[in-house]
Amino acid sequence: MIRYLSSRLFVFIIAFFLLTVFTFSLNFFFPGDALTNMTGVRTFSDYYPILSEARGTDKNIALQYINYMQHLLSGNWGASLSSGDYVFKQAYQHLFASLELIIGALVLAVLIGVPSGVLAATQFRGPIDKSVISLAMAGYSIPVFWLAQLLILFFAVKLDWLPITGQINPLYGIAPKSGAILLDIALSHSDYKAAAFQDALKHLILPVIILSIMPMMLLLRLMRNATQEMLQKPYVKAARARGLNEFQVLLKHAVPNATQSVLQQVPLIFSLLLSNSIVIESIFNWPGIGNWLVRAIFERDFPVIQACVLIIAFTILLFNLIVDLYRGWRFPIVRHE
Amino acid sequence: MTKALSLLISATTILLAGCEPGTEKVTPLSEGIIYCSEGNPDTFNPQLITSGTTVDATAAQLYDRLIDYDAEKQAFVPALAKRWEPLDNGTRYRFYLREDVKFHSTDYFSPTRDFNAEDVRFSFNRWLDETSLYHNVGGGSYPFFSATGLDKLIQKVIKVDEMTVDIVLNNADSSFLANLATDFAIILSAEYAQQLSVKDVPYLIDLKPIGTGPYRFESFRKDVLIRYTKHPEYWREGPGIEQLVYSITPNANKRMLKLVTGECDVIPYPLISELQALNRDDIVVTNEVSPNVSFWAFNTKKPPFDDPLVRQALSHAINRQAIIDTIYYGNAELARSILPPTSWAYDNQGIQYGYDPEKARKLLEEAGYEQLTINIWAMPVQRVYNPNARRMAELMQSDLAQVGVNARIVSYEWNTFRRRLSRGEHDTVLIGWYADNADPDNFFRPLLSCAAVATGGNRANWCHPGFDELLYEAISTTDAAERKALYQSAQHILNQQLPLLPIAHSRRYQAQKKTVRGVQLPPYGGINFRLATKVTPAEENAQ
Repeated sequence: MIRYLSSRLFVFIIAFFLLTVFTFSLNFFFPGDALTNMTGVRTFSDYYPILSEARGTDKNIALQYINYMQHLLSGNWGASLSSGDYVFKQAYQHLFASLELIIGALVLAVLIGVPSGVLAATQFRGPIDKSVISLAMAGYSIPVFWLAQLLILFFAVKLDWLPITGQINPLYGIAPKSGAILLDIALSHSDYKAAAFQDALKHLILPVIILSIMPMMLLLRLMRNATQEMLQKPYVKAARARGLNEFQVLLKHAVPNATQSVLQQVPLIFSLLLSNSIVIESIFNWPGIGNWLVRAIFERDFPVIQACVLIIAFTILLFNLIVDLYRGWRFPIVRHE
Repeated sequence: MTKALSLLISATTILLAGCEPGTEKVTPLSEGIIYCSEGNPDTFNPQLITSGTTVDATAAQLYDRLIDYDAEKQAFVPALAKRWEPLDNGTRYRFYLREDVKFHSTDYFSPTRDFNAEDVRFSFNRWLDETSLYHNVGGGSYPFFSATGLDKLIQKVIKVDEMTVDIVLNNADSSFLANLATDFAIILSAEYAQQLSVKDVPYLIDLKPIGTGPYRFESFRKDVLIRYTKHPEYWREGPGIEQLVYSITPNANKRMLKLVTGECDVIPYPLISELQALNRDDIVVTNEVSPNVSFWAFNTKKPPFDDPLVRQALSHAINRQAIIDTIYYGNAELARSILPPTSWAYDNQGIQYGYDPEKARKLLEEAGYEQLTINIWAMPVQRVYNPNARRMAELMQSDLAQVGVNARIVSYEWNTFRRRLSRGEHDTVLIGWYADNADPDNFFRPLLSCAAVATGGNRANWCHPGFDELLYEAISTTDAAERKALYQSAQHILNQQLPLLPIAHSRRYQAQKKTVRGVQLPPYGGINFRLATKVTPAEENAQ
């Protein structure tokens, strides 16, 4: 396990290094002054010469990169060119807001996608299997922005059940601390926590459902195929022969083994969620990292664009690492692959 | 596993307990109003910028002015100055200030004294006096005061005593009070400025504002919201709500959907083409005639537009009523003058250039043109006074074709458009004007004076000495009847000369929930939530 762990960590560190080299070089590729792109401090500011010295802009590029990394790791990510706010503080608030959506959607996708996939596998080529698979195909093919418009029109405008933008009704006055609204409500001193909580959940419903549809359908198909494959294996036949009923066979043998191959695809699903969240956040005005990135691109806010690129790529890398380590620990065979 | 399960169950129980209806009374929602504004403010100080979004978000909510303008009475009314008098033949104005006016007390500033003459002196000197400590904080440019010439008109501001201030002018100017009553001439706290400069953070004066207005600043999240709370010690009748939130929603269609779903209480600028969707029991759509005008200006420096006959002929060729029906969906008034009918100097005997293609053809012949090729510049952006200049130009193109005039439509990106327009590269242009205050001078001097030719504001490049003289005579007197007569003479010259053809005065739209009351749209721009209040649906039904 230690060898596996160290090899995975090594790959992770190399990838992280390449990522920081990329974001560092973006400062020079973006139009304008490299130091301004890096820090948000403009050339006419009194602070500019001080920063220039701190970042060693007159030194060679390797030293500049080391300076950049020091500032990056100490949370000194500069200021936004459009709002002047510190990027790091803004970044983690936006990240937590996005994670709240993504985790919600992932949980929903697993809770519905996995059992439906197993169900379809047990009814292989039967009417239930066929309808579940057709549904999955349809769900996977509908563009996210289109589905969002349809659900908004139906649930929000027609039925008036759900709100369409933001994390909570702003009149509750919940100040953003972590950025994740449910956590912020818990941390707040509001007299109306229960009502605020209820309101925040209502705001979460539509974006979470829409964001979960694609990964849910993907998981469903993967789970169905993997389970079906397992059900054909000799050891499952042996288990049946030992007198285990179909439910026991599924729960003890087929599903755990099918999970192993599905787990391999989970980082892909996570990336799918992260990229779709950019669309969803823009539609629902969700103050997450995707929405922040889109606005920063429109406003040519280079420090923010870099922060978003770094965070999105780093989150995907980290998630990959965690899934790899979990698989290595849970399924020893993976370590020998 | 059992431990995890029990954790999950207890978490669900807590969640569901939170969801139980009626566990707590939801008061924040009934005591606050959400205004879905169309963009972020550039700053929290309207002295620095003329953008409507910034003015809407800050001016009337955070600050007060020395005097206000009452649109109904068409008169200036006291605000922070309880009375005032002109001295020295109108070259000096003395303002007697109101006592017991409190500045906002917030978590970043606690005032130790009430409003006094020092605050007035500081607020005016900030934009008047280039040597003032705060003049260059925030960029050092004060566009409204430069455009109206107020910075050149005011000689100095003198503190007579604690509660009296004199403003000395270089010459008498009757538009002076109108400019003081605008959203730009706000009063800041000198004590707060002093504290900030001691702490070496003077720039915070425009980011964390302190004023005497009905609301105080709480927080701003770019692209998300601005939060204001009620100023508890406001000196006059204040709002009936505790909180005012600006929820920033740039998309007009989304604003409308949010109003329908109850996420906004008030929205500005609904799309005229979508007003039908707001035809519901719980929503009221209001519209005001706002002091704006869209017009077709002829570049009088270029032939054949230097000939009044040609300008008259082209004006007769245009079916303006059809334009109003098609472009404004009937939500505008046919303009008979560049002054809107709400102005006290309006002359209802104004421009009478009705649609008459036959007469247009005759006038063209008289001027010596049988065939004519011209270009129409159509602005590329939507404005309150003109929602679709390009489409308007197309309609005009077909009208002109009927009298033998071949028109070509020209458009550029907005900044390029304005730059080239200022250089006088156009033949004719479709553009307009939105007044900053209630004074008729604001329509004439910036648009048609000889001085405006030099600054690029006079789109017709028309300089008429007689007309100019009338305008300067009009601002040198304070006698309203005399001014009205002078403006009517000026309009008479315009009718003859026709450097521009006024087209329409458009209405300004706003939609709101029926439960919201007291939101005012002052006719010269901005929005005012000072008297805003919210009734419950039950109360609303009982009324």
